[in-house]
Amino acid sequence: MNKGLKLTDILVTIVIAIVFGIVYKLWGPLYYFVKPFGLHVDQLIYGMWFMAATVAFLIIRKAGVAFLAEVAAASGEFLVGSEWGLEVLLYGIIQGLFAELVFMAFRYKRFDVTVVSLAAVGSAIGSIIMDFYKGYIEDLALWNLSLFLGFRIIGSILIAGVSAYLLVKALEKTGVTSLVRPAAQEDYDALDEREHA
Amino acid sequence: MLNVEKLRLKFPGDSDLLFKDLSLHIEKGEKVLLLGPSGCGKSTLLQVLSGIIPQSVEVPMKAESIEKPASWGYVFQDPDSQFCMPYVDEEIAFVLENQSVPREEMRPRIRQLLKAVGLELDDIHTNIHTLSGGMKQRLAIASVLALEPEVLFLDEPTALLDPQGTEDIWHTVKAISEHKTLVIVEHKLEHVLDLINRIVLFNGEGEIIADGPKQQILSQHKDTMRAQGIWYPGVWEDYKPSEKLEASSEPIIRLEQFKGLRQKESKIHVPQTTVYKGEWIAVTGDNGAGKSTLLHALMKFIKTTGTYEIYGNPVKKLPNDLTFVFQNPEFQFVTNSVYEEIAYGLRLEKRSQQEVDAKVEELLERFQLTSFRKHHPYQLSMGQKRRLSVAASIVCNQPILLLDEPTFGQDSKNTFALLEMLRDYQKEGSTILMVTHDEQVVEHFATRVWKIENGLLAEDRLVQTREREPAMECL
Amino acid sequence: MEFQYNETWLHKINPTLKLFFMVGMFLFVLFVHQLNLLLYLTFGAFILFWFFSGHPKKRVALLMIPFILVFVSTATSMIFFGKGETTWFKFGLIHITEESFYRGIHLGFRALIFATLGLTFTLTTRPVKLFYSLMQQAKLKPKYAYSFMAGMRLIPIMIEEFFTIRNAMRVRGVQQQRGLRSLFFKLKSYSIPLLSQSIRRAHRIAVAMEAKRFSDASKRTFYYPIGYSKTDGLFILSFVALILLSYYSAEWLPLFPVGDVRYES
Repeated sequence: MNKGLKLTDILVTIVIAIVFGIVYKLWGPLYYFVKPFGLHVDQLIYGMWFMAATVAFLIIRKAGVAFLAEVAAASGEFLVGSEWGLEVLLYGIIQGLFAELVFMAFRYKRFDVTVVSLAAVGSAIGSIIMDFYKGYIEDLALWNLSLFLGFRIIGSILIAGVSAYLLVKALEKTGVTSLVRPAAQEDYDALDEREHA
Repeated sequence: MLNVEKLRLKFPGDSDLLFKDLSLHIEKGEKVLLLGPSGCGKSTLLQVLSGIIPQSVEVPMKAESIEKPASWGYVFQDPDSQFCMPYVDEEIAFVLENQSVPREEMRPRIRQLLKAVGLELDDIHTNIHTLSGGMKQRLAIASVLALEPEVLFLDEPTALLDPQGTEDIWHTVKAISEHKTLVIVEHKLEHVLDLINRIVLFNGEGEIIADGPKQQILSQHKDTMRAQGIWYPGVWEDYKPSEKLEASSEPIIRLEQFKGLRQKESKIHVPQTTVYKGEWIAVTGDNGAGKSTLLHALMKFIKTTGTYEIYGNPVKKLPNDLTFVFQNPEFQFVTNSVYEEIAYGLRLEKRSQQEVDAKVEELLERFQLTSFRKHHPYQLSMGQKRRLSVAASIVCNQPILLLDEPTFGQDSKNTFALLEMLRDYQKEGSTILMVTHDEQVVEHFATRVWKIENGLLAEDRLVQTREREPAMECL
Repeated sequence: MEFQYNETWLHKINPTLKLFFMVGMFLFVLFVHQLNLLLYLTFGAFILFWFFSGHPKKRVALLMIPFILVFVSTATSMIFFGKGETTWFKFGLIHITEESFYRGIHLGFRALIFATLGLTFTLTTRPVKLFYSLMQQAKLKPKYAYSFMAGMRLIPIMIEEFFTIRNAMRVRGVQQQRGLRSLFFKLKSYSIPLLSQSIRRAHRIAVAMEAKRFSDASKRTFYYPIGYSKTDGLFILSFVALILLSYYSAEWLPLFPVGDVRYES
């Protein structure tokens, strides 16, 4: 994938992903409990399953992290025994890939809420493509399909976009993110100061 | 052997350099202890000497010259975050794999390494999660020995261990380090003094203020060490806390055939006891005996059976009269600033802004946090975090305070400060129940001891007078 | 995470092979549109799951409860709102047709077979063995494999922390807060300590691993050498047999009176 990721980056990404893997696993029951109520209200909370990619990328800010995080979260969810079984793995790959592509399109240089939301939409589109193959969703009545797609995309933006962004902002205040971000040039320059005034 | 000349180092975001032209030389076979107050950079220096900085951790640094050991091993502080594999054998195998040791040689090597650190398990395929903290740290030493290091770096390996674990670790280190160079960071001196011969003393600005044979440093710089919060032998005698308080005779908690259940199994059993207002009860016992479980049962975090009354009223759910301070203060923080953290409980009770202000200011003052009011709770030092978590817990004047090892891993300065603050709270009529491993805390502060053995409150005695122990002989 | 179980022949299969085979099955099932065929396939997978996971029947049964929910929830949307001609029931927005009904059932079984195969894999594969195998058979880079293993090790610690945080939040009175804003506040109160603790821990483990001379560059030996065996052949054969048998059974003994469940207009 990417040669630039150091062991620290990978391990931190995977551990963040596993935290979300556990959340994903807990989110499952909630999802299928709201699902039978019909009218796709469940789709509003689907975006939770895209959060690992956006959160991990916002924290580490490197190429490959979004993809790795989503795959790792899916693997974690799978390996602790997901009731969705194997499909979570393939969904994870596709969702991670689409989020990664969005971040790549901005050359991994933008970390604002717009780009994060776009990445969330990317993941949503990825998942919808999978659903076309798996769930025959094109065979839903048109009004129902529109509701389904609309809710999923809105939910993704709210959860994996905006909430992820706010969450990482809050996390940055704790100072823990500085562990995984590179030092600034000014810090290196400070080493050469002769005497302190 | 180990040498660094004119080291400069700066953490990103800090305004000042941590080290400015620091030089240190260590000869082969020396056993050196780095001492200094929290935050003086001892651990950072250890990482520079080993090369972890800048190889694995990017920190801006430069040095005129630096000589690193050819082979070294590093034992870290936290037993839970230095392993990457789930089982004992797999963890050591990981280190052997890193050095391309042939597979056939691995099992015998693993056995031999475990033996060297006194960790003789029936089955080497034991889950690390089931080991005690002390055993985990011995495993950490074993896996480091797999590197056959000439130099061993030990970064407060016993900071998170109980007294027994601490003793075992230093015993183990002594046994394996005869021909090795040791560089140790530690602030609990009791056992480590036996095995070192040189002390390097730092000040809070990251400068070396003394360097020499241990006897000399210990006798000449005792005052500095006390001020820095180092646990040197005899620190309690020098501290001389004020007299203990007397409890009243007003009963507040009554327990009878009280049991705390986890997965329907009784994990703690209290046959019968009464807690009186103003008591300071120390809950002691071995690891895993059920000390924390007792507190959890009192808080109703877990299911309980039997009689449990506060002021004569049976307790059904999380009692409002009790508050709890967790071992890791960060888990309790919910806001973005020290001020808001303390104010949180009051705001939930919808108190007026004036009332909130007055109360928070008072607590900030009392817990020495006034100048940090705008800081993010996570950005405080460990000692400050502990004080903040106590302050935030008692803001609503709960009469009973439960604490789970609040002085754990703290330097002496912070420990004494926190204990005194608790005593002030006790003076106002509050009751304290505190899990602790520290005999000295029991002797000097507690009015009563509950000893837990195998999930049973086995001993319940009053600690009336403070017994004076002779100063420890270590030199 | 520590469960007692017996090793069955499924445990002995090369984990990489098992994983790729399961994924292959997944892709194959995506292209199965015949309800009867899917039914027999699911039945076969279920036999594997029920008899050969090596776990006690009680636990296996317990793990199946969510299956039913997944089945119902996956099937209902399609049954209620799917396209179709032959109306069986109509009430407001709900429109059940023969076609949508069978398509819904088909989706339910599809979810069921994915779940069964997935859980069979999980129950019969130790993650450590999987990653050792992926390093040896699939050339997965050690830095990814060991990061995964280190991460998996942290799961029980994280779960413990989660419960501690929940208790801490109760003591602080966080559950007293109400309303939509409190929802985000609660989410934050849980995730900030959990994430920050995890990030620090991950960082420290990575440093500790490198301090133990872990590097991607050097050649490593493996504590668990994993290769292929005859059982792997048996595994492949049993799946081929399963697919063939299902085809024949669907042909000779169709349980539902439908063919392709897709909508054709």
